[in-house]
Amino acid sequence: MGIRIICLLSVMSLGLDARPISYTGGSTIMAFSDNIKNSIYYHYSPSYKYSIGIEVIRNDYFNDNYSFLRYTYLLNRKNTENSQRNLYFQSGISSKGFDEFFYGLHGDWETRRLFIGFGLNETKRKIQDYFEQYYQIGVAPYVGDYGDLHTWIMIKAKENSLKNSWSTYPVLKFFKGNVLMEFGYSKKTEWDVHLMYRL
Amino acid sequence: MKNILLILIFTSMAWGETPHDGMHHTHEEHVHEKFVDGKKLEVDPERFDKFIMDLKDTQIAIVNVQGMVCDFCARGIEKIFKKDINVKKIDVDLSKGKVLIAYNVAHEIIFEDIRDKILMNGQNAIDMQVIDL
Repeated sequence: MGIRIICLLSVMSLGLDARPISYTGGSTIMAFSDNIKNSIYYHYSPSYKYSIGIEVIRNDYFNDNYSFLRYTYLLNRKNTENSQRNLYFQSGISSKGFDEFFYGLHGDWETRRLFIGFGLNETKRKIQDYFEQYYQIGVAPYVGDYGDLHTWIMIKAKENSLKNSWSTYPVLKFFKGNVLMEFGYSKKTEWDVHLMYRL
Repeated sequence: MKNILLILIFTSMAWGETPHDGMHHTHEEHVHEKFVDGKKLEVDPERFDKFIMDLKDTQIAIVNVQGMVCDFCARGIEKIFKKDINVKKIDVDLSKGKVLIAYNVAHEIIFEDIRDKILMNGQNAIDMQVIDL
């Protein structure tokens, strides 16, 4: 609960960003909260192809706290006139030791009107290993101009092997300037909140 | 884990990131219509007028960019160009996929430099037109 409050306060005071890699020389701070964990993640991008960062985590399922030293690499990007597609490799080593880590993939494809994304993560822990996956599809109800408030209506389906069940729920995403916010809710998983600020 | 491997294989088949050489034009009068060589200027006239409203002795680079579909993701372009002391002003036109950059008139605009800066944000500049005000 404490870290949840810290996350929200951080967001309110700083704002937050969405992509796992920023522009070259840029950095991003994110806060994330769902039924498994609450975290704050800061990353810096020496290049647009990769980022390094620290994620501080409160894990509600295992009732413990730890951090990940994270590395994200852009495996693939396809830019066209009307779309962009990305595929990222993500990984992290835990503050609890080299035998605790995660790795996975994150991908998205978007136009100004449509969005499709997914994430797959395998986490190795001494207590118990687990696998998480999500798939997300969205549409922008209007196409905003640069500097406007942008809105996305999405559906997200996710599974965590610790809970061993899928949940599908609506998600609203808003961004304006350097701030991005994403809110999802279902009775099963309760709130799923993702906030970002690009520095 | 099988899912991860399958997605890696499928998506690694098509890498896209090959910016083409830019085309450099100058312009005298018909800002909203055509260049003297007949090439059409693909920029929103209203937006362009607003952009140049308070500018004098300036050159405008109109850069055609691929992959610029998201406001949030295009923010880095503005941040990168604003670090350049020769840049007076910048605007991003998401609907046309254009970046408008106002430079000091004495500055030599080099497409490769602009292309590299756009790539620092992960997008591809594919060509450019320059208008002298």
